[in-house]
Order: sequence, then structure tokens, then C-alpha cells
Amino acid sequence: MGENLKRVMVIGGGIAGIQASLDLAERGIVVELIEKNACIGGRMAQLDKTFPTNDCSICILAPKLAECFRHPNITLHTLSEIKNLSGQPGNFNVKIFKKARYVKEDECINCGVCIEKCPMRVDDEFDMKLRKRRAIYIDYVQGVPSIMTIDRENCLFFTKDACRICEKVCEREAIDFDQKDEEFELNVGSIIVATGYDIFEPTSLGSLGYGRYLNVVTALEFERLICASGPLGGHLKRPSDKNEPKKLAFINCVGSRDIKNNPYCSSCCCMYTTKEAMIAYEHDNEIETSIFYIDLRAAGKGFREYIQRGENDYAITYIKGKVAKILEDDQKNPLIFYEDINTSQVKQLKYDLVVLATPMVPKKDAGELAKILGIKIDDYNFFKANSYHPQKSSKEGIFLCGACREPMDIPTSVIDASGAAAKAAEIVMRG
Amino acid sequence: MSDDDIRIGVFVCHCGTNIGGVLDISELTEYSKTLPNVVYSADNLYTCSEVGLSEIRENIKEHDLNRVIVASCSPRTHEPLFRSTCQEAGLNPYLFEMVNIRDQDSWVHMKEPEKGTEKAKDLIRMGVYKAALLESLEKMQVGVIPSAIVIGGGIAGMNAALNLANQNFKVSLIEKDSELGGLLRHLNKVYPTNEDASIILETRNLVENHKKIDLYKSAVIEKIEGYVGNFKVIILQNKKTLEIEAGAIIVATGAKALSPEGYYNYNGKTIISQLELEGILKENKINTNNITMIQCVGCRNEERKYCSNICCMTALKNAILIKEQNPDANVNIIFRDIQTQGVTYEEYYRRAREMGILFIKYLPEKPPIIKKDRIEVYNEFMNQVIGIPYDLVVLSMPLIANEDSEQLAKMLKVPLEENNFFLEAHVKLRPVDFATDGIFVCGSAHWPADISESISQSNAAASRASTIISKEMLEVEGSTAEVNTDLCVGCEACIKICPYSAISKDEETDTVVVNKVVCKGCGVCGASCPHNAITIHHFTSDQIIAEIVTYGGGE
Amino acid sequence: MVFEPKILGFLCNWCSYAGADLAGVSRIQYPTNVRVIRVMCSGRVDPVFIAEAFMNGIDGVLVLGCHLGDCHYINGNYEAELKMKMLSKTLSMINFSDRVRLDWVSAAEGARFAQIVSDFTEHIRKLGPSPVKNKKVKKEIIDNLNAVKFALCDTRLRALVARQRELTTDGNVYGEIIPTEEFEEILDNAIENEIIRHKILEKIKNKGKSVPDIAKEIEIEPHKVLRHIVTLRARGLVDVDQINEEIPTFISIKEV
Repeated sequence: MGENLKRVMVIGGGIAGIQASLDLAERGIVVELIEKNACIGGRMAQLDKTFPTNDCSICILAPKLAECFRHPNITLHTLSEIKNLSGQPGNFNVKIFKKARYVKEDECINCGVCIEKCPMRVDDEFDMKLRKRRAIYIDYVQGVPSIMTIDRENCLFFTKDACRICEKVCEREAIDFDQKDEEFELNVGSIIVATGYDIFEPTSLGSLGYGRYLNVVTALEFERLICASGPLGGHLKRPSDKNEPKKLAFINCVGSRDIKNNPYCSSCCCMYTTKEAMIAYEHDNEIETSIFYIDLRAAGKGFREYIQRGENDYAITYIKGKVAKILEDDQKNPLIFYEDINTSQVKQLKYDLVVLATPMVPKKDAGELAKILGIKIDDYNFFKANSYHPQKSSKEGIFLCGACREPMDIPTSVIDASGAAAKAAEIVMRG
Repeated sequence: MSDDDIRIGVFVCHCGTNIGGVLDISELTEYSKTLPNVVYSADNLYTCSEVGLSEIRENIKEHDLNRVIVASCSPRTHEPLFRSTCQEAGLNPYLFEMVNIRDQDSWVHMKEPEKGTEKAKDLIRMGVYKAALLESLEKMQVGVIPSAIVIGGGIAGMNAALNLANQNFKVSLIEKDSELGGLLRHLNKVYPTNEDASIILETRNLVENHKKIDLYKSAVIEKIEGYVGNFKVIILQNKKTLEIEAGAIIVATGAKALSPEGYYNYNGKTIISQLELEGILKENKINTNNITMIQCVGCRNEERKYCSNICCMTALKNAILIKEQNPDANVNIIFRDIQTQGVTYEEYYRRAREMGILFIKYLPEKPPIIKKDRIEVYNEFMNQVIGIPYDLVVLSMPLIANEDSEQLAKMLKVPLEENNFFLEAHVKLRPVDFATDGIFVCGSAHWPADISESISQSNAAASRASTIISKEMLEVEGSTAEVNTDLCVGCEACIKICPYSAISKDEETDTVVVNKVVCKGCGVCGASCPHNAITIHHFTSDQIIAEIVTYGGGE
Repeated sequence: MVFEPKILGFLCNWCSYAGADLAGVSRIQYPTNVRVIRVMCSGRVDPVFIAEAFMNGIDGVLVLGCHLGDCHYINGNYEAELKMKMLSKTLSMINFSDRVRLDWVSAAEGARFAQIVSDFTEHIRKLGPSPVKNKKVKKEIIDNLNAVKFALCDTRLRALVARQRELTTDGNVYGEIIPTEEFEEILDNAIENEIIRHKILEKIKNKGKSVPDIAKEIEIEPHKVLRHIVTLRARGLVDVDQINEEIPTFISIKEV
């Protein structure tokens, strides 16, 4: 075996990747952090608050983002993806593909003038397409690095060879349409995969009416709807008529614990639906919530007490039962049909807004990345972890953390991330 | 330093048009010159650009500036940059002050440029008055002992020790028993692979033979002293007192199962605990046909509100093992909610159902009743009480905190939560850290955890500990609290308030002292001290009051 | 001329200051009246700072921290809450408590920050200028604020607040837990006493006076005045001046 490089690559800049990077960097190990998006932060940045303390997600995340950006041992590669891997544990050679940003990273000061002037309006993925962004944009206002990106697919210069307004209004001359995509290689001793998850798309479940009924939304959409920095400025209104909803329903296990879709349990939905109901109640004490569930899973520290608090203090009613279908009345109020477990009869309840707790699913390119890295995946495309050493992938020197190996909540992801850092350090620091 | 020696330079940033397009920058620059102690003032298009930064450096030298103010954007993003610029020019970085006239002025008062400019004048004046009182502060360096102490030799402790040792750190592993392995020693098979527990216990050999690990078995902790980077643990082993030093401590003391005595007519024969069943299965002595397990015994109730996390999977495991051995056995699990989060565990649950294990939900207000020949349980689905014949009833007892947790917590000066498990610094972002730097927790000492969770957490705790013991020196932020011993009367109010245990009593002088290595500079002690004996450096009362007075007084 | 209130805001670095920055990034417009002093934690704000602000003619003070449970320093904002409660009790005795507000703003709540500033500015505008600026009553108001400051600096009162959490949750050295209501009562009494004591000291600053005379001047029963005089004497702030016909007069002997 050759020389051990005291350098680790972390793939994915969500909370797991950030925690792993920070631990390693503080440990004195050089980190190459690879992020596909223009900003790090991942899913956690999209959340309004987080259970079980209900503290503001971005408040606790933002200092970590800044630390990651500033740390002398961390090199951040945004808009980057893995193309190829060779070598062996202790000395891997990784080929990186980095998309052009078309904005000079050292010049942009995130003043936002270009955004104001950009004429293109595009669905904002960060806000779950609930509002529009421009073709020059930053993923989210607190995003790091806090610089703009031009979205090549939508920018008028790239699509129609026109416009270039951003270039004209930028006082820093930070726009650079001549930037090119790059490919480069990095040598690392070990690799941590922290690529996170996608959200199950419930349109395929026709009976629940998502995509057909405006007042049926997903839980992540709900996070953005209720978030102070979201499209509604934190004033919860239902999509159809912008009225304030008073009766909410959350449906757990939408497309999970379901043999036809995803047989597994998504781990955090029982908790986050309770959280979302609590936040809604904090916004408006007149809100009453029903949460439909199969089993209430709340095994984490303080979680069971959290559910209890939801029931006692936040007007949440937990209804055990499987929802059969959702229809809509002429006021566009969703009607939930569910099987009452006591009578086995199908009952009907009317709500103002229904939220679907859709599970975490593997990233759609997880299979491809697994192939490049030479690691195994499970039946669903989550990266396969060792049963008792869950940070170990099937290949020596490559470690896993966060929801890319199995659905998990933030505390577990953070533990996982630090754990993966320790395992990676074991490889690069071994005697 | 007398007042005359204070030489302040003010740099006002246009930030392109971000500030300059709203506020009157030349007015602000001229106004700055009129303020006391200001000897230089200039505007920059972008103070943060290399041109702007070199102007700061040059003018520090040229005008002999000993205080620098930049009026621009937010200190949250740019203070580190300007501080290091000052440092490069030979100025102590704490003699820099930032005034936010963009994010909190020009951007939020775009339609009121005059009022915005007036506000900026006030803010700059406040900055100037504060700057005059700024002090040079030094980042203290403190040496670190490059080794760790792990308390507890169960799977979590062993694995944490092993990981650090594999990273080439010296580790001392302290175990109160004469043998390593903890609760794992009593287990038969482990889920989700149903392999023999001895496979996991192989870690024991690796730990016992590792040259970087010093093992202290049958050892009792007597005393813990010191702070991050420099802990000293005094143990009693074989009637000998030993002193172990380390830079970090990992708590992995585990938990124990609640005794089944007194629950559901427990008799140790036909009504036993899940742990006793493990023993029976280990010896292959199961010979009954009708087995019923009851979940959540002694927990999720008023006395013990929590869910013990591991009991559902344990019950499933033993139910599957029985069923595998004897497919004709009737195995029932009376439960409240089956906790099998994730992919593998949910699969395991499905497998159990497919094997014909029967699951019966019960309501806490209608718990099962064990009669002589059957268990009666109210079934919500059928809305009636059903009777289940049994030969063996197995009670799933929760894990509870060890009774010596309290004593250990006191010695470490770390908190416990209401069930006496150790309380971490932050549930989400610091799940294995204590608020007190340099001390970490993993495994069931923190919360009931199964093997895979314990190993995860132990790796995490090892990682966190390594961030400290890998450093030769810890650098400590200069803006911390300091006690004026002339004013301190040793009332100790601050000791209880400090969330980081950074303050302690000096018994000799009868005053308190702040450990700068541990202090985070939040300033709460300073605002609370009955005798005003605590200075919060960089946010001193004098500095803050100077800002208040000049804001109030200036018209 | 329209009254433009002078508002001072203490913002904690981690949440509210970040929230205020976010209001900027989002270009949310709000009144220009507020001037911000950044502190690392809302728990750093010594109530004395706020008395100081009022004495210097500031019309209103905002103290903003992280939401309860979100504190970067674990529980600094809870400490801030206790301090502000005590401050508010104290200020209410001189009719000033309406001019200070404690609230929580997260780093995601730019709009909320702007809203709080707008509402508070409007609120202070309605209240009108601080009476400190009114020449007719200035002396009396400053005296009152001095009494408040005296109370806020008082060692015993500060110790009481500093130990509040300990006493009401963990118990004292004997493990006795003081119920919150009982504690509030103790605190109320302590505040009232300190304000009265300061008034007494003011009256006997330059000239010795007898207990009945002091009682008449500050409109309090003589036996209560006597009790305060005894306390002040024990603290070394007051001594006997003369004894005229067996009636002693007392005088302040220390600048406070």
C-alpha cells in the first residue's frame, strides 16, 4: 500500500456533509467538500423549524455554513460532481466535473442588483416551486457561498443570445459569460458520501389528489409555506383562495410503509408532522389538526414526550387509520375518506388544507454514483451500510452518513456524520 | 493609554451603490472627521476589495492609527476579514470595530436617504465612542494532552477507544466491572442479522490487545479535575489510587434494564423479562408453545414517560428466533406502537408478520391483565376483550439510567435530563457533546441505544474528541469574561449561571475565577454579577454605556 | 414637528442581529428610528444599561434575543427574560415600563424584525417623548431614574435575580425550592424597598432629618421609614447626624 494521504473527500454539503467536514478539518485533516448545488446547506436550509426543540433551522445552520466556508482546512467545490474514481483506500484519485457559475466567485458581493434586473422568471426549486426566482440567483438568501449563479438552462444569453443585463448592472464586473465547465482531479485518502435524499413525488398516488387539488400539499412545501423567509413570509394561507386555514390534516406514510411504493419507514414523518402542526398552531391558536398514522414512531430522545405535548397543548388529534382517498368539495376543501378502526366503516372528514408526509427516497442519481464509487446499494437504491458499523459502505475507505444510506432525522445525521469522520480519519491517520 | 493617544481611522464603504446609492457617503466621511479621536477618515468604493483592504493597511501605518472602524455591511460576514487586515498591519484585531450601515441601514431605508444618513451618523458616532474604549486582547494558547479517557467498557466505550487508538491516540479505558462488554455479554443473538452476540464481542479482543489502549478494569472513579485539553481523572483500582491525564473524556457508561419485579405478576418462571428470555434462548432451553410478549412495561407511563427505543426490535428478534426454531409456536406481541424506523428495521418487522407472529395493539388505559391461564387484552379493532392462552409471558422492560450516573455527572460537572440520562449540549447539532468543552457522551448513557446506534455514536464521540486532542495547542477567543478579584465577594451566583462551567471558586482567595479556555464570552455572568465584578471583554459595560450615552446625548 | 422617537435596540449576535441583517437582504423597509448595539447574547444586557439609556433621553429600548430554546449559549435568553422582568417591575414604579420591550427574533425572521421595530416605534410615538426631555419635570424624572438605577445596582436585588432560576427550580443550599409566586413577591418587595431607600437617601443628602420628617416628605408611615434607615445604616450609607431633644436626625454619608 502506498502513502496515506491526510486528505478526505466529502461528497454532499448538507448538514451531514458539513458536520463531517468540520470535524475532519478541526481534526487537522484537509477536506475537499463537493457540492452539486451552488450553495451548501442542503435540506436543512429548507426547513422552517426542527424537532424536538422547534428551534429555527437556519439559525442553527447558518453559523455552521459560515464556519465551513471560512475553515482553512476545507476547500469547497460547488456546482461539482464526481465523474470517476480510481486508486485504493489511502490514495484515491477522484475526477471532478465542475459546472461554470458564470459569476466570478471573488468579485460577487451578493448585493442582489442583478437579480432585480434579470427579466427571466423560473420556478424556485428551493421554495418547492412555490415562487419564482430569476435566471441569475442565489439558492436562498442565507446561502453560502453568498454569491450569485447563472442558470444556463434559463438565462436569455445562453438560450437566445440576448439580454446580458446582469453584466451591465453589475458594478463589480463579476459576471463572466466566458467561464467554462472544468474537469480536474483530486487525490484523497478516504471518501465520505453524504449526498442526502430526494422527496417522494406523490402525484403517482392519484387517490390522494396531489397535483389535482390545490389544497393538498407536501410536507416540504408546507415547511416553505410557513417559513418566515418563505414565499408567504410565514403567513400560512392555503393555495386555492389565500384564506387562513383553520382545520389541518397531516397524513403520515404517504408512499412509505407501502409495498407498492416504498416498503420502508421514512423515520421522521411522525415527528415532523407533529412539528409542523405545532408551528401552525403557534402561528394561529385557532388551528386544529388531525394527524393520520399507522404507528406513531417516536423513539428518539424526548420524542415521545414531544408527541404528548402536541396532543395536550397544540390541539392535535392523532387518528389511527389508513386514508383511502381524498376528494374535494365545491369550495375546494379537501375531504378525507378513511377507515375508522373501531367500526371498520369508512368515514369522511373535511379540512381546509391537507399535508402529505412524503418519505425520503434515494437521490435519483444514487445508482450512478454507487457505480462510480464501486459501492453497493440496497433494494431501494440507498447506499448499503454495514449492519453494525453503519458508517461503513461495502468498500474499504468509503464511508456513508446521513439519509443517503437510510432515511433519518437531523440528530442521527449529525451523529452519523461525526461517526463517518472518525472512520475516515482512521484510514488516513493509521500508523 | 491617555485619551490623546487614541487615533481612530474611519473607513466608509460605498458598497458600489448599495450604500452609496442611498446614503450620503461624503457627508458621513466628513462627519466622521469631526468626532473625538478620529484622525483619519476616507471612503472606499468597496472596502472589502483588495484595494480597500490595502488602503486600511497603508493608513494604519501612515496615520499611526490604533483603532480602525469600517462602516459597511454586517460584522457577521465581514468582521473576520477586516480584523485580519488590521492584524496584517500590526494592529491588534480587537481594536477593530464595525458599523453596519448597509444591511441595517441603506437596504432598509431606501426611500428615506436623509434619515438613513442621520442614522448612519449616529451609528458611526457610537462606533467611535466604543472604539475609543476598545482594548487589545490576546488569543490565549493552552497546551493539550494528546490522549483520551473513555469511561465505560461496553460496546460504545470499547468502540470509541478503538477508533481513537486506530487514529494513533493514546486511550485510557476505565471499566468498573472486571470484564469488558457491558450489556452485550448477556445477549444471545443480535438484530438485524440474528448473528451470535459473540461476533460483536470480538471488539473486546481488539481493545485488549491494542498497544495504544491502557485498560483499567475493576476501577472506580474517585475524582475528576481540569478542563478541556487538560483533564485529570483519579481512579481507585486494586486499592491503589491512580492518576490518569487526558485532553478529552468520553462518557460511555451505558444503562441497565429496569427490574421486572412487581410488574404483571412477574415470577421469573412463567412470567419473565426479555433479558431472561435471552438467557434461556442462549442455552436453547425454550420448550413452550404459547409465548406472549408485552411491550412498554414500566415506561411510556406517568413515572417514565419515555420510549426506551430498543425494546420493539428486541422483542421482534426473540419472537423471530423462537418462530424459526419452532414454526408451530404461537408467538404474540402485545404492543402500543411498533418502533421500527428506517429500511432494515421495517423489513425486519415485515418479516416477523410474515412468519405469523401476531401483533395486538393495546391502549395504555386498558393494559393487558394476566390471568392464571390466559392474558386478557382489550382489542380496539374488535372492540372487545380477547383472551390469549400462554405458557410463557415475556415482559419488555425499558433501559433506565445507571444509579451512579448522578455521581459521575457531578464529578464531570455535566447535566442529566429528567430520567437521569446524560444531557447533551444540543439535541440536533451537538448530539454527543456536552456544553462543557472536551467531554462527550455516547451509547445508552445518553439514551437507550442499540448496537448499531451505540457504535455510530461512539464513532461520533471519538471524532469530536479527536478535534481536541489532535491539536498541540487550543487557541482561545480573547473576548471572554474576567473577574475583578477586588470586587468579587465569592457569592458564586455566576457559577450557577454559566452554562459552560467556566467559573469556579478559588477557595484560597474566596473569589471566583473564569477559566478562559472554557468561557464562550456570552456575557451573561457579567450582566448578572451582583457586585459588578465581572468584565466582559470586547463588550464591556463601559463600552456599551459609551455607545448609549453618545446616542442619547447627540441631537 | 413630528416626534421622531429615539429607539435603542440590543440585538443578540446569533439570531436577532442575523434576523435584522435578513430584513436588509430582503430589502424590507422599516422606520429609521432604531440604533442597534450588537451583543453576543441577550443575556449580556444588564438592566442598568436600560436605565442609563432613559437617563440619556432615549425614548424606547428594544431587547431582542433568540427564541426561547434557541439560545446559542444554551439558556442566556432565559436569563435575559428574568432580568427584563425585574427591570419591568422596577420601571413600572416610575411609569417607564412601557418604554422597554423584550422580544424574540430568529435568523429567519427578517420580516418579523421589521414588524417589531415598526410596531415599537409607533408605540413610542404614541407614548410621546420621554419626560426626561421635558424641562419642567426633568429633575423629578431624573431623580426617579436614579432611584431605579440605585435599585438595579443593588447587590441584594441583583443577587436575587441572578439566583432566581436556581432558587425556583434547583432549590437553595438546603434543597428548598421557592415557588415562583412566592419568589415574585419577594422580588416585588425588594424592588419597592430599594426605590424607597433611594428616595430617603435623596431627602437626607445634604441635611439631617428625623424619621417623622422623612416620613412626611415621602408619604410613608414612620415605622417603615425607620426600618429602611436601619438597613441603610447597616450598609454604611446613613448615619446619625444629631440628636435634638432625644430625636435623632439622620444624614446620608456616602455618594450613591
